[in-house]
Amino acid sequence: MIEITRSAIDTGVILEQLNSRAAGAVCLFLGTVREMTAGRRTIALEYEAYPEMAERKLAELEVEARARWPILEVVIVHRVGRLELGEASVAVGVNSPHRADAFEACRWLIDTLKQTVPIWKKEEWADGTEEWIHPGKPDSKPGA
Amino acid sequence: MIGAVIPAAGKSKRMGQPKLLIEIDGRALLARVIEALFDGGVGRIVVVCPPESAPESAPLATIANESGCELVIPREHPLDMRASIELGLGRLGRSIAPDHVVVGPGDSPATTAPLIASLLERASRNPRGIVIPSVGGRRGHPIVMPWAIARELAGLGANLGLNALVRGHSDLVELVEVADRRIVLDLDTPEDLAAWRGGAGGLVSYRVRLFAGARELAGKGHLEIELAPGSTVADLRRALGLSEPRLGMLVARAMIAVDEDYAADDQALPASARLALIPPVSGGTTETPTRSRGVGS
Repeated sequence: MIEITRSAIDTGVILEQLNSRAAGAVCLFLGTVREMTAGRRTIALEYEAYPEMAERKLAELEVEARARWPILEVVIVHRVGRLELGEASVAVGVNSPHRADAFEACRWLIDTLKQTVPIWKKEEWADGTEEWIHPGKPDSKPGA
Repeated sequence: MIGAVIPAAGKSKRMGQPKLLIEIDGRALLARVIEALFDGGVGRIVVVCPPESAPESAPLATIANESGCELVIPREHPLDMRASIELGLGRLGRSIAPDHVVVGPGDSPATTAPLIASLLERASRNPRGIVIPSVGGRRGHPIVMPWAIARELAGLGANLGLNALVRGHSDLVELVEVADRRIVLDLDTPEDLAAWRGGAGGLVSYRVRLFAGARELAGKGHLEIELAPGSTVADLRRALGLSEPRLGMLVARAMIAVDEDYAADDQALPASARLALIPPVSGGTTETPTRSRGVGS
């Protein structure tokens, strides 16, 4: 199941979807809002998606993961909007007959998701500044 | 001296109306092409008209006459475009033969004076060459060739035309890469015409969605961009940077999405493409997500 949502991620619902008699392993990864990044304090994160494309890219990731590992179910939920410290921004859940495949598929899904799915985050720093995270900075300042 | 032949005797069957009388920006296509040739440096133009029995013959002849062209009005419709061009070349050769001849289908609305001038300039530096405009290696119109080669058209076998003539001298061909992608377009069908007229002066309008840092730099969620038909992702990237300088270097580092998929710079943009600028995503460079690839079943 693929979902982009403005609501809080409900891990209970996800774990229920991953419950299967055929599975010997369930792997659930949560990405959460961290307070400290390289010495700077975060107040909150804001996530923005290109929803049509993000859903399409997530569905493609599921297809590719299923081709690589013998997995039974894939659940990916990404939250958008403003998130407080400690809240989950993304959940990736996988089940499979054996744990090695579930771990590997889950790891690959979250890593590839962060690289290819058009979802961005903005840091709301404790010093009052805000900053969209577009790796490869510095740039994007007018005239820079 | 440079001569030119405009074959205007075609029946415009697929268009359903005489092509060269179609008005673009308020002027008949034939008048536009004639003006571009003269302004671009052509000294003599022969227009090959349909026979007098065709209703479009008189208005075409009037335009050609008033613009200072020489006329050929055959008794019957020439068999094909090659036959029309041969008639025109025959007329050019009856007086002092030109050094070079400009030939093209006559219905290419992208024939402009600067294009002609740049082709003729190249021909003057390479007088033995056949000069052809191209976009990304794709050949367009019109062609500039030495008179000696143009004359060979009369000796070619039936069913062979200008393309065969050029193929026979492929070692002499010099392509002049130009920016205007419209040089490869003809106006053959009502759809071609609609595409040409769509947007401002044949340009296609696109709405490009902006996200995250790009949206904030531009101060809005999308940009309206106009591009020539056949433009690519790279053209769009350039146009975005020019249209919204506040995007800065982010344009160069961003990906372009066409119909919700990442697109390479050389990909052409369909007229109805859904476009978006995709700034680098947050996990895009620091992770090494490929490390577990190939471990699966």
